[in-house]
Amino acid sequence: MLDPAHGGIDLGARGTEGIHESDVVLQFAAQVRRALEGQGFQVIQTRDGNENPSFDDRSARANAQRGAIFITLHIASTGLAGTVRTYVLPETPAVRDPSGLIPWDQAQAPFVPLSRKLGDLVQAEFAKRFKGSPEQAQAAPVRQLRTTAAPAIAVEISSVSVEERADLDRMIPGVAEAIAHGVAAFRPSYVVPAMPGTPLAAQP
Amino acid sequence: MSAKWRVWLGGILLAAVIGAALYFPALRRQVEKARDLTEKTAEQARRELLPPAPVNSGEPRVKAKMFWGSAANDGTLMPVTVELPLSSDPTLRAKEILNTLLAGPVDPEARTLPPDAALLGFYILPDGTAVADFSEALASSIPSGIQSEQLAVDSIIRTLQANVPKVERLKILIHGQEVDTLAGHVDLTQIFQVNGLGSEPTRPGVSDVLTAPIKKAIEKVKGATKRQ
Repeated sequence: MLDPAHGGIDLGARGTEGIHESDVVLQFAAQVRRALEGQGFQVIQTRDGNENPSFDDRSARANAQRGAIFITLHIASTGLAGTVRTYVLPETPAVRDPSGLIPWDQAQAPFVPLSRKLGDLVQAEFAKRFKGSPEQAQAAPVRQLRTTAAPAIAVEISSVSVEERADLDRMIPGVAEAIAHGVAAFRPSYVVPAMPGTPLAAQP
Repeated sequence: MSAKWRVWLGGILLAAVIGAALYFPALRRQVEKARDLTEKTAEQARRELLPPAPVNSGEPRVKAKMFWGSAANDGTLMPVTVELPLSSDPTLRAKEILNTLLAGPVDPEARTLPPDAALLGFYILPDGTAVADFSEALASSIPSGIQSEQLAVDSIIRTLQANVPKVERLKILIHGQEVDTLAGHVDLTQIFQVNGLGSEPTRPGVSDVLTAPIKKAIEKVKGATKRQ
């Protein structure tokens, strides 16, 4: 599941030359999608155009898929231009209610170790391609990840403050390739839980 | 027209030009000043109306550790030691510390919080949970992004962690309200671990639920914000 962040009236980060995060992430998503499909993955996007689904709507699309992984794409306002960072949610104790369902607002909790593994694999690929990028994924309480019941990462590219839009465009193939390689490396370690007790999130 | 009248007319025109040259720059300055005043945001006006941060000049100056952005390492925080007259009362001390953090470092590039943001209120509950209420500018003026929002929250937590041991957990409100995110990315619905058991020294953790006393404190903050 690919999630180009923001959209609609939410332009996200705004930079020089009228660069809007909500537009740029759609272009990144299109190329990431092609790279993932090239590795044999089926890809669904939370938005294809200028819509702005809510955080919960985006998570709901991912939570309805069995064996999905979730990648939300962002362009930062800050950071060293030409670098990329991957974020995962910090460790939180997993909570289940007596029905076996995971509370919606903590849907990510049981998946954090898997998300960390996916994040580290993807970030290692970024570090190879984009000088100055960290070697490992970082922990941050990213809202979009919290309600997602699947291995989930946020990828943030720096930044909308580049001198020319072309500087960002040049990063697209490298970002797409890095994500596709990272996800392919993660695939063997992702054991989808069996149907009984499958971690389905209960939306309030 | 006689020569005498031409001299008079020339003199009047010259006086008018000199007068205008002296008067117009002053008029322009006045117009710009008036424009600056009208352009002040409600946020700035509100901030000016707020009581000044309590400064206990009578208190001994102690070394406080402030966490601002690192110029050397992108996206990381760096501790900076500053001498401040800090109160021994934890609530006052936390207010003084956070106001110093908001005032920012010498290098504006190392700022983690927007310059027009203000601390509207700070409370510590008996169980060690603190509620910090910031003005709208904290959310509206911060550069949008995971990195910038995470640095802002992390700088608040680590600075409190280093200077106010009484604060164990922190709930951040914006203008008296609980908000979903700081500026579209970092989750503010949860409570951040600051000190105490289970706290992580380098990263803010999250607590799972809002307890009844915290909800009560949020209502208190909301009430206080409405009255202002």
